[in-house]
Amino acid sequence: MDRSRLLFLLSLVLCGAQALTPAHYLSLSDVSRLQNLLSQPFTDLESAYYSVVGLAQLGASAPDHTEVCQFLKSQLDPTSVDSLFFAAETSQAISGCEIPVSNETRDILLAAVSEDSTMAQIHRAVSALSSLGLPMASQEVIGALTARINKEDNVVAITLALQTAARLSQQAEVGGILEEIEDLTARLDDLGGIYLQFEEGLEATAMFVTAAYSLSDHVDMEPPLKEDQVIQLVNSIFSKKSWDSLSEAFSVASAAAALSTNRFHVPVIVSAQGPATVSHSQPTLQLLVTDVMSQPLATANVLVESAYAVASKSVILSQAPFTLNDGVFELNFMSNQPASGYYQFTVAVTGDSRLVANHVELKVKVSTEVAVSNMDLSVVDKDQSIGTKTSRVDYPSKAKTPFTADSHQNFAMSFQLIDINTGVELTPHQIFVRLHNQKTGQEVVFVAEPDNKNLYKFELDTAERKSEFDSISGTYSLYLIVGDATLENPILWNVADVILKFVDEEAPATIQPKTLYVPKPEIQHLFREPEKKPPTVVSNTFTALVLSPLLLLLVLWLKLGANISNFSLSPSTILFHVGHAAMLGLMYIYWTHLNMFQTLKYLAIIGGVTFLAGNRMLAQKAVKRIAAEQSSRLAKYRSLR
Amino acid sequence: MSNSVISVISRFLEEYTTTTPNKLKVVDAYLLYILLTGALQFLYCLLVGTFPFNSFLSGFISCVGAFILAVCLRIQINPQNKGDFLSISPERAFADFLFAHTVLHLVVMNFIG
Repeated sequence: MDRSRLLFLLSLVLCGAQALTPAHYLSLSDVSRLQNLLSQPFTDLESAYYSVVGLAQLGASAPDHTEVCQFLKSQLDPTSVDSLFFAAETSQAISGCEIPVSNETRDILLAAVSEDSTMAQIHRAVSALSSLGLPMASQEVIGALTARINKEDNVVAITLALQTAARLSQQAEVGGILEEIEDLTARLDDLGGIYLQFEEGLEATAMFVTAAYSLSDHVDMEPPLKEDQVIQLVNSIFSKKSWDSLSEAFSVASAAAALSTNRFHVPVIVSAQGPATVSHSQPTLQLLVTDVMSQPLATANVLVESAYAVASKSVILSQAPFTLNDGVFELNFMSNQPASGYYQFTVAVTGDSRLVANHVELKVKVSTEVAVSNMDLSVVDKDQSIGTKTSRVDYPSKAKTPFTADSHQNFAMSFQLIDINTGVELTPHQIFVRLHNQKTGQEVVFVAEPDNKNLYKFELDTAERKSEFDSISGTYSLYLIVGDATLENPILWNVADVILKFVDEEAPATIQPKTLYVPKPEIQHLFREPEKKPPTVVSNTFTALVLSPLLLLLVLWLKLGANISNFSLSPSTILFHVGHAAMLGLMYIYWTHLNMFQTLKYLAIIGGVTFLAGNRMLAQKAVKRIAAEQSSRLAKYRSLR
Repeated sequence: MSNSVISVISRFLEEYTTTTPNKLKVVDAYLLYILLTGALQFLYCLLVGTFPFNSFLSGFISCVGAFILAVCLRIQINPQNKGDFLSISPERAFADFLFAHTVLHLVVMNFIG
């Protein structure tokens, strides 16, 4: 136990303060439903076994023992191991029923205990022998079980082996089989850290728990299950609330019995009786502390380790014991005078070293009653020239005369919310002021806010708020709404009638339903604002300046005496120059009119023609030049000679 | 000192006028024209502002491009460089010059906006 306590503390430290607590258990109604299912009339020995033994596990008993005994004896087949097992086990669960045993029967059972039988056969034979009080050789049984475990390596078979071993004598060497508990534990599937179960199903999981604890009790060794694992097993076994078959119901009943009566781990279920709410009229917090079958743990000590307010985190209570009163643990929490709100309790259940999940977190609501006091209503002139006249209204009556406010006036309201029981000022979550037009049924709701002295003030500026009323003048009923989860008496109070007068009532058009589905105004694209241009004079001057070098060029060329005489008037020459000029013209048109593709098309046509003409012209020139060079070289050569 | 500078310059001008073929002088005049045009555009940009920036860029880039193309032409038709450009006749060089100009103008016109 010390080891697991240490582990528990360690896991507490590791996963913060939030310990895993059982989320599912058999409530009293679950137990009675389970009993009903098990009490149905049985038709054969197997169903009789499940019913009678299952009921015995739940602490109930079959109605008529002699009738059951008669049924067993009439149905018994002394040559069948199964029949003997069911009859023997059922007879153990009722009083005064002896199953007659012959030597032949004993031999059949003993013969079934061998390596060649299945695990189920061995289990049933050994259980029958044990129930009938017949002797058997423990060592032989262990040998057979060990051999079958190696052959049938599945969860159900090993669980049966555990159950069988628990039926052997105290002196038997069951250490090898005991180790199987740890192996099976390793095969459990963890679902979200909350459930722990075998994939074979609920029955396998429940029978494993039963077998593990019965064997552990038998040998007086703590099963190698951590506290969290026990809680997770509890969750998975008791989460199913409707049982498919008698055998499943039997397995759940057996597991419930094992988890509440074993010598090592008893999971604790702590639940509040009724809602976890305390108030001045109901000052005690009542807790039910039970085992998984909702049977009260009367010997336990229940202690509040600490209780703090959820909102302010201030600790209000620590190390306060609950008193046991008629099976219910009670604590008068209101004697600590908690303010209304939610409180987080950490409850420890002690008094028995077997208890598991004995540190529980509880959320407790402290509710109270509210009263409205100092409700003052007034109509204030905006320019404050006339002194305000306030009138006080007492809950729950309504002001006798209606108030009138026009556009030059504000309607004002102030009040306080008091805790009836303590006299302390309260600030509940929901404080609304509702104005309801008696004629049109229209209602407008405002939120009233407290100031720093917790005095609620609500001021209605009729001129400013007229759009919310659609400028409809008329008589409005004024309601105050006070609500909160911690209030026992939420308030809806018709405080007064208010006549509101708005200025521009002339436009009924504004009252018409708003046209929500008209097209929105078109969004116009805004081009970038062009930058400021320089004055035209400057631009023109520079245009002239930039063009002036052209003049210089012409002058220079004339001065150099550009050789125009070489210009021949052959068609190719003309075509070339015209084509060239056309290309430049095209460039200009491209700038002003065309796009790139059109330009490239025209350019290809003009360029092609120009290329051909230019090629021809330049070829002619080259021929001429080369001829001239040759002749000059020839002349030079001649002159040299 | 200044005397020598003047003499150097005058010597240079004399050499230039006498030894440079007329064809190259025509090209040089063209180069001077482009240089001045570009410089004036740059001056406008400095004095008045860059708006419209793409127009300025296209004008200036067209000057730079034309200058480079003209320099290439000048190098290729220079008789002193004949050995380097054996496969390129002066006519071929001129045709290349014109073709490159066509492409340059297409780009410049596209950019001018």
